[in-house]
Amino acid sequence: MMELDLFREYGPALLRGLGVTIFCWIVGTACAMALGFLLALVQRGVSARPVQWILRAYVEFIRGTPFLVQLFVLYYGAPMLGLRLDAMPAGLLGLTIYGSPYFAEIFRAGLNAVPLGQIEAARAMGFAPATILRRIMIPVMLVSALPALVNFSIILTKETVILSMITVPEIMFETQTMMAETFAFAESTLVLALFFWVFVETISRIGRRLERRATHYLLDRS
Amino acid sequence: MTLAPSLTGTVNPASARLENVCKFYGEFQALKDISLVIPPGKVTCLIGPSGSGKSTLLRCINFLEEYDRGGIWIDDRLIGYESVGGRRMGGRALREMRRDIGMVFQQFNLWPHMTALQNVAEGLERVKGIPRARAHEIAAEALAKVGLGDKTGNHPSRLSGGQQQRVAIARAVAMQPRIMLFDEPTSALDPELVGEVLGVMKQLAAEGMTMVVVTHEMGFAAHVADRVVFMERGELVAQGSPAEIFQNPGDRRLAAFLQGYLERNSLEL
Ligand SMILES: Nc1ncnc2c1ncn2[C@@H]1O[C@H](COP(=O)(O)OP(=O)(O)O)[C@@H](O)[C@H]1O
Ligand SMILES: [Mg+2]
Repeated sequence: MMELDLFREYGPALLRGLGVTIFCWIVGTACAMALGFLLALVQRGVSARPVQWILRAYVEFIRGTPFLVQLFVLYYGAPMLGLRLDAMPAGLLGLTIYGSPYFAEIFRAGLNAVPLGQIEAARAMGFAPATILRRIMIPVMLVSALPALVNFSIILTKETVILSMITVPEIMFETQTMMAETFAFAESTLVLALFFWVFVETISRIGRRLERRATHYLLDRS
Repeated sequence: MTLAPSLTGTVNPASARLENVCKFYGEFQALKDISLVIPPGKVTCLIGPSGSGKSTLLRCINFLEEYDRGGIWIDDRLIGYESVGGRRMGGRALREMRRDIGMVFQQFNLWPHMTALQNVAEGLERVKGIPRARAHEIAAEALAKVGLGDKTGNHPSRLSGGQQQRVAIARAVAMQPRIMLFDEPTSALDPELVGEVLGVMKQLAAEGMTMVVVTHEMGFAAHVADRVVFMERGELVAQGSPAEIFQNPGDRRLAAFLQGYLERNSLEL
């Protein structure tokens, strides 16, 4: 009965936390993918030395520093440079920046794996570069890149808990509040673990379905 | 296989002219001062040993490969540069010229995520701006004409090599090019599938398409070509009618190449 009371009291906050976590993951992953894709395009399409150099420095810096440190820089450090962000925007921006180099690498490898002949066939017909990218390179690339994209998106679900450190009211933050006020460690951590398990399992199922759909045309002749 | 009467409808075949074309890969010179006239409505076959520069030459004609010196004209328009030795041509102008030049590759290079029909319709929609419904009609007709009317919904992975290459030809032809380039179109095919592709090419030739064909099929060169060009080590060594080239090879290197070809093929029998 104790537990029921507990969840009656903290349930709404926990549910809100779940919602915030899912929201942060969706927006953060989408933005990180978009930025990563942009980085991959620049890496592929712009050969100017300084641009490549800046890009490499960015990638190395982001990959070489912990996500928590990046978040602190954004939330506590940036105001000193005149950029004052609320917790939520700082968290979303943090996820975007943190994820971008990994997604960029996945997209870079995927674009490089598109057979040159398929691109040349389009060039020879008079396709514009943007059309080739949109209609041929991206769909072909997605097939090979999808498993890695799903995989890193799943990793990002678990990074969202770090947003609690800058007071984003996501599930970890709400659980910690509940723990501090009730000392119900077992119950709250169980809820937390259960949630992430279901969350990740759902995403990998969706991912597998997408993979099947994307690759159906590559199956051997029946 | 029966083919509908016309693959191309009415086209106005283009000529091509190459003058002193040179191509370098770093220090290595892949094309040495090539001059050649490709007459309109005729079939020109490029033959020669592997590595002699045939593909490079073919790919310079639609500027997939940038030549470094000389000039290539499609009808009377220089491709790739604004003037001989001048600045690179703008992307839009180059794309516009490429619409007139169809290309068929050894590896087919179909787009794997699209059905046969979509492969053919894609260029009509995205390059020519033809509305989807009409593009699909044209594509279906083009596929029927190469004997694939019943395979329009198949993805490339569900087509044989010969069928894939016929889709690739339909894809190029549907754009109504005025000149077609073929880079060893049958070299990746199992022997029993070569005939169906050569058949489609013969029909195109009979309809008066300007064709430049890199090939190891000497039978095709001997019977279908109007002109045969022999290359070796980046040089154009000999050219002439099939009779001149095959029955009467004056050049020593050409004679050795043909002798080698005959020996290999009689050994295989
Ligand atoms: N991208 C490239 N970089 C360097 N060398 C190349 C490249 N493409 C072709 N070559 C060289 O140019 C020569 C001609 O090649 P190619 O035109 O493919 O010959 P062919 O089609 O007659 O077999 C070969 O020696 C080949 O190694
Ligand atoms: Mg070749």
